[in-house]
Amino acid sequence: MRRPAKTCPVCESGVRVLDYKDDRTLGRFLTERGKILPSRLSGMCARHQRQLATAIKRARQLALIPYIKSGASA
Amino acid sequence: MMRRYETVYIFDSSLEEPAINEKLERFNVLLTKSGKGSVSSTNHWGKRSLAFPIKKKETGYYVVVQFEAAGELLPEYERAVKLDDSVLRYLVVLNEGEPPKPMPTVPAVVPELLELEEEEV
Repeated sequence: MRRPAKTCPVCESGVRVLDYKDDRTLGRFLTERGKILPSRLSGMCARHQRQLATAIKRARQLALIPYIKSGASA
Repeated sequence: MMRRYETVYIFDSSLEEPAINEKLERFNVLLTKSGKGSVSSTNHWGKRSLAFPIKKKETGYYVVVQFEAAGELLPEYERAVKLDDSVLRYLVVLNEGEPPKPMPTVPAVVPELLELEEEEV
């Protein structure tokens, strides 16, 4: 029972280097709580997943995205 | 050796624009000292709300500066930035984005040449 391989959303969009200043794009790869979405769920290729991790960590330092998002009603 | 860097500053948003420009100018002088660097672009994002408070401030004034400089200038520059109380936070990273490419047509020609050579052999 193998699912068809997901394709990397970043490769598909034609972007080679993820920008840590682009908080909108980075936001797509965060969970509700603000954690980094695993590539298992996003289908990200290994190279872009590594880039994503550094980009998100830089964006957090600059307060562009939060370290933890508190749940809306939890 | 010159390398391309990028700095993001978060200034105190209560500062007026002229004051920020003056500070930027002061930092830039440290980077361009004795011809060992040049500032290639400055981009003011303006006021933006922070994702979490920094130094008890909820908003910050973001400025992105791209520059080229010799690495030996950086320690002194970073020291100056750190000492400035109006800089809430800053981040210096190597600029790995798309470099300004001065040779646009060369890669397009090369594959054709290779194919031709193979046919001749």
